[in-house]
Amino acid sequence: MTKKYKLMMKVPKTPKSAYDHGRFISSLIEHQIKHFSEVEKSLLKPGQKLTDISKIKTELQASKYLKRMTALLHPQGADKPRRAAQPKKPTKTAKGAKRKSKVKTKRVKRKSR
Amino acid sequence: MPPAGLDNLKHIVVLMMENRSFDHMLGSLTKQYPKINGLTGNESNPDMNGTMVQVQPNAKFQGQLDHDPDHHFPGVDLQIFGGTPPGPGRVANMQGFIKSYATQGTSINDSHAIMSYFPPKSLPVLTKLATEFAVFNGWFSSIPGPTICNRAFAHYGTSFGNVDMNLFYIQDPIQSIYERMVQAGHTAKIYYYDQQSSTMEIVNLLKNQPQIFGSYSQFVADCNGNTLPEYSFIEPCYNDHPGPGGGQVLASDQHPDHNVQEGERFIANTYNAIRTNQQLWETTALLVVYDEHGGIYDHVVPPACQSDGYSATADKTGTGEAFNFDRLGIRVPAILVSPYVPRGTVIPGTEDPNGLVFEHACIPGTVTSFFLKNYDQATVREKNSRNFLTPLTDTLRPDDDCWVFDL
Repeated sequence: MTKKYKLMMKVPKTPKSAYDHGRFISSLIEHQIKHFSEVEKSLLKPGQKLTDISKIKTELQASKYLKRMTALLHPQGADKPRRAAQPKKPTKTAKGAKRKSKVKTKRVKRKSR
Repeated sequence: MPPAGLDNLKHIVVLMMENRSFDHMLGSLTKQYPKINGLTGNESNPDMNGTMVQVQPNAKFQGQLDHDPDHHFPGVDLQIFGGTPPGPGRVANMQGFIKSYATQGTSINDSHAIMSYFPPKSLPVLTKLATEFAVFNGWFSSIPGPTICNRAFAHYGTSFGNVDMNLFYIQDPIQSIYERMVQAGHTAKIYYYDQQSSTMEIVNLLKNQPQIFGSYSQFVADCNGNTLPEYSFIEPCYNDHPGPGGGQVLASDQHPDHNVQEGERFIANTYNAIRTNQQLWETTALLVVYDEHGGIYDHVVPPACQSDGYSATADKTGTGEAFNFDRLGIRVPAILVSPYVPRGTVIPGTEDPNGLVFEHACIPGTVTSFFLKNYDQATVREKNSRNFLTPLTDTLRPDDDCWVFDL
């Protein structure tokens, strides 16, 4: 059974609009890719061609290259990201429970956001 | 006799975020918590017109620093010394942040954004951790430069003479903290977020030591299953990419221009993974720290430090002057979390004559001294580093006295 906690603080959700896998890569990711490219050279088999990393411009392109290379070096890391177990708040009073249900209704109404 | 907090300590977890300065993230807390060495609100920098621009509590989660502020060695030199060229007797004044940002093609108005900071309500997670546990007033990045060389100090206690983002190779006899731990029969792991984000510790560690890596998913599972290593280093997600089942995975590293709120959620999730396992909570210390300031304003002059015996030549630094690793980089947020840390602990820094200076070499330095006791090959900077576990006391705070985040 999940434990209930006395002191709980709600953390705001990140807006979906924050996501942009077409964002141009930063200098940090550019160098991360360069480092992986150095590793790739040492992993090439006869006849294989080195990835042209100069064509990697966006975070999506970078993530695909990083996934391919990381899978070669560390296949154990292929599992799905997960969140920590979600803790429960202490049992609500009837009044508190009623307020919570109102909030839920509001959320349903704002589904277009 | 060590305090009970140290006596019961079995796990040290370090979460290293990206590119935000102390004042930018925590500077606003000074008004409510005067011991925290943040902002008065009167700090300023000149812009390219010579107009003095004050710090402003108008930092945005995203879209404000979309030109990645310069944090390479010459840029940070400009930020610290205000544009005074290298030479004897020049004085650090922290007056070159706007000038530096203006060189990146930003308009005069946009260059002022480098002076922005977050009010506490914008960063509920970081604020809660800083005020509920221990905040370090004097934790500096190890080098006035970018990510890779600074992260190297967290893994090796040195950057092997590098001040940039280029590949470097380990020079014997120095070993990473993970190799030291494993060879001595202890356990240690670097957890990267997922394969699409991967790790910044590629050539030396992922290529040669894949057994010391795990994914963030594995970290959460290890917390739940009481299988967490003695030492863990966590890397956030460094890019936006599609998730499993058609979902979207957001970068959580807080590197500009990634969304700062998502980083807050990542910090909260990492904290919760430890906090919600009572056995783990009582035996773990979590350090949340940033690798470097990312070009963003901080008012504290970085102090001198013990040189680690390396020197970067003038052509490597790009300033026209060699660097002997005898000065630290700009100050970053650092928070130590444990139920043995009293609420509202502030570790004084350079503002106090008796204050303490911390930098990333403190990470392998502290982990080595705690788990391995005597280790001959620690680097010069590690040997001179402060132990970041000193805020742990004898008193275990009651479970009802420590927060949990609702994600």
